[in-house]
Amino acid sequence: MRRLLVTCLSALMLLANVSYAHAKPLNIPVVYYKLPNGLKVVISEDHIAPVVTVAVYYNVGFRLEPKGRTGFAHLFEHMMFQGSANVKKFEHAKYVEANGGSLNGHTDFDYTNYYETMPSNRVELGLWLESDRMRSLDISQENLKNQQNVVSEEVRVNVLNQPYQLFEWISLWENAFTNWNNAHNGYGELSEINAATIEDVRSFFKTYYAPNNAVLTVVGDVDANEVKKMVEKHFATVPSQPTPPRADLTEPPQTKEKRLSQTDKLANLPALATGYHLPPQNSPDFPAMALLVQILQGGESSRWYQRLIKEKELTLDLSGGLNYFGNEFDYTGPMIMTTRTTYKPGHTADEVVREMDAVIADITSKGVTEKELADAKVQYRSNFYSQLESGQGRAHLLSVLALFRDEPQQINSLLTPFENVTTAQVKAAAAKYLVATNRTVIDRVPEAKAQPKTGQ
Amino acid sequence: MKTLLAIILLATTALAQQKTPPAPGAARPLNLPKITEKKLANGLTVVLAPLPNVPKVASILTFRSATTASDRNDHPGIAQIAAAVANEGTDTRSSKQIKEELRSIGGTLAVGSDTDSTTMSAASLSEFSPRLFELMSDVAQHPSFPETEVKLAQENTIQQIRAGRANPGFLVNERFQKAIFGNHPYSFVVPDEKSISALTRNDLRAFVTKYYIPNAAHLIVVGDIDVDKTFAEIEKAFSGWKSGTVPPDENPPVPKRDKRQIYFVNRPGSIQSAIYIGNVSIPRKDKDYFAIRTADTIYGGSFYSRLTRNIRESKGYTYSPFSQSDTRAKTGVVFAGAFVRNEVTGPTLLEILYELDRMRVLPVTDEELNAAKEFSTGNFSVELASQFGLAGRINTIYTYDLDKNFINDFRPKIEALTTADIQKAAAKYFDTYHAAIVIVGDWEKVKDQVTPFGEVTMYDADGNVISK
Repeated sequence: MRRLLVTCLSALMLLANVSYAHAKPLNIPVVYYKLPNGLKVVISEDHIAPVVTVAVYYNVGFRLEPKGRTGFAHLFEHMMFQGSANVKKFEHAKYVEANGGSLNGHTDFDYTNYYETMPSNRVELGLWLESDRMRSLDISQENLKNQQNVVSEEVRVNVLNQPYQLFEWISLWENAFTNWNNAHNGYGELSEINAATIEDVRSFFKTYYAPNNAVLTVVGDVDANEVKKMVEKHFATVPSQPTPPRADLTEPPQTKEKRLSQTDKLANLPALATGYHLPPQNSPDFPAMALLVQILQGGESSRWYQRLIKEKELTLDLSGGLNYFGNEFDYTGPMIMTTRTTYKPGHTADEVVREMDAVIADITSKGVTEKELADAKVQYRSNFYSQLESGQGRAHLLSVLALFRDEPQQINSLLTPFENVTTAQVKAAAAKYLVATNRTVIDRVPEAKAQPKTGQ
Repeated sequence: MKTLLAIILLATTALAQQKTPPAPGAARPLNLPKITEKKLANGLTVVLAPLPNVPKVASILTFRSATTASDRNDHPGIAQIAAAVANEGTDTRSSKQIKEELRSIGGTLAVGSDTDSTTMSAASLSEFSPRLFELMSDVAQHPSFPETEVKLAQENTIQQIRAGRANPGFLVNERFQKAIFGNHPYSFVVPDEKSISALTRNDLRAFVTKYYIPNAAHLIVVGDIDVDKTFAEIEKAFSGWKSGTVPPDENPPVPKRDKRQIYFVNRPGSIQSAIYIGNVSIPRKDKDYFAIRTADTIYGGSFYSRLTRNIRESKGYTYSPFSQSDTRAKTGVVFAGAFVRNEVTGPTLLEILYELDRMRVLPVTDEELNAAKEFSTGNFSVELASQFGLAGRINTIYTYDLDKNFINDFRPKIEALTTADIQKAAAKYFDTYHAAIVIVGDWEKVKDQVTPFGEVTMYDADGNVISK
């Protein structure tokens, strides 16, 4: 069995009581190559259990969906379960489950993924299913109408019929960004979801769902050489397409604070969301910013949690982070750090913002302590390992590293820049990015209505 | 000419595309985890299982006597509040110290309480496991319930429940548990505001002294561990914990439903109806466990289930229909759910009930049963490959006093099921004729669609019965 960390090293750390010692580099095996049609292939053996994850990541997310078609990338994701040349409508699910697996898909800012986890001796079935829909998706008006209904219900259940309506994502992004590609509602307006035509579906498929715009990743209890042969068999003849046009994702720098107030028909308590523009992932400031996010809002020991919930007793909860949907590695365009907190009646958004600012001011003047940063790194490492625990988690990181960096092998050294961050860098990052002119603040208050009565 | 060329090219491509699914390869060996059970002198059961997939350790400490039923007459909801505040301070650590110490070991620690137990779930980097056990032991033995923390938790819990009442998912579940379990402690979802406010620090201290005892507890540890070394660490951390007197079971007999009834929670302005339909089923230890579990998989418990195929893929009424078999110590519940636009509320009720009745009246096909068996056993292997997945599975064995071979017997027991077993279980427990039908929605918009299905009692979001 493979271990990520050598046990004797752990023992040494304990003896020395050095809680902030750097981790030994990981040693996850990675086989990486490209087929002549441009498909990137990642294979990573992991023999801890007789299971395998097969994942395909396409280099298109909702930032790239057409104008007038908000929610289209996600609607399209649903169409990928509606059948292909040799797999009937919804039978993808039947094949995977009847072979002992589970499956799903997800549409994100910059990618859309599909994956199935199954007993490892069914790996070729997963490859066949993915190749069939990559090559020959079956697109019909009837199935499009059906999935427009399904997706409309998804938007109702998760957004429109909910208090707050995901304002910490949808409204915050609409206001924090100016470039439509970044700013628009990725879940979609119902009218635009339902306006999509079969031609839209065909054209999106042809443009973006090509092998040269995708990564195929296989993680699990398999033999890499055998998998290579199967990949060749099922994917080599899938035709490539012209490289899709890259949309302009550039965002003009924000120069003035944006603050707005909204009313909510369904909510009983007020809530606040903030978003700060982040430096790009290749900026030298980025690792320090990631640790700063951890220190500010990573769990119950974090500075904002302690200040807002415990010391000032102003708010009830705290959520958010560096990437609203994912992690530091699984996006490519501009990003904001988001924070959401429900505050108690009788208080104001200004009070909450003032306390959040006081925490920032403390960091920009005094910095964070060595111990605080060291502990944040330990927590960061621990969270990172948790992402690697399942085949799906491992396949996710390998896929986005192949998709966005063309180098999935980086999985073994991803932690290094974060481990090397200094307290001075954290302090400087706070001073540079956590300024009012760089943020958007939304106060969301319940529409005036009768006070809720005491529960039974 | 051009057209012809295109056709030839297409044909070539089609040739390369395999038309039928590839056959499975030889099954790889399933090495079930080696599970070791030990006992401390104070009665604490300790169960260890190495799973070195990442250098972390996952742990669950379960207090089997601290349930919703415990002390409920004098202090309703006390188990839940005690769990919420237990890790907010001990005799030697403040709340903040606990959270900071957890961060320094890459750790998490949460305590929660339900109808059958109170559980502490904790994890850390495996290199720091002795410190994790020390913290868990401190929170289990010496929670101090500081005055300020108790007051803050009371205030915040009340506000959080008010916030939750805006959420249809919260409302439908709350009304459903009450409809199914009546006045039984199993109906508990959240405490009322008066009970929360009445609790004192002394009540909470007395509660944990009585109910958080090692001789009615078990500790499960899974991860990158060495069994002997880890057990020594656990012994060091937990052996000073004093045993107590195991309190008697405080649960009354479980109720049975005698008629079909609709419970409608009015939420004016709602653009969907949130629907749960279900009935009382079986205790976790019942012999029908595997049959109901599998019937549920076929009905609505998997993606390619009958319910999803019908009201999602065929009719487009809903995004995520589901069903669930939730079995607990004394009894269980089996139910279906869907969130649908107002216009299709009636048709959805009709289809959910139809599919339930179809399971009772006709046998499932061999193909459906075989698929459900593969689904269950395959996904069971995936569950066992995660530290918390395996720890949680072992935890149910000890919480519900199941056969110690549950994990090894899972596959043969699932594989032995016949279509007749499934139909028999469905006929008995998918009882639509005495079902609770709970709907959260806008009464004015959907009442004409709802009333044909039975007698309606109406509630507001706070749980008060109101007139229609």
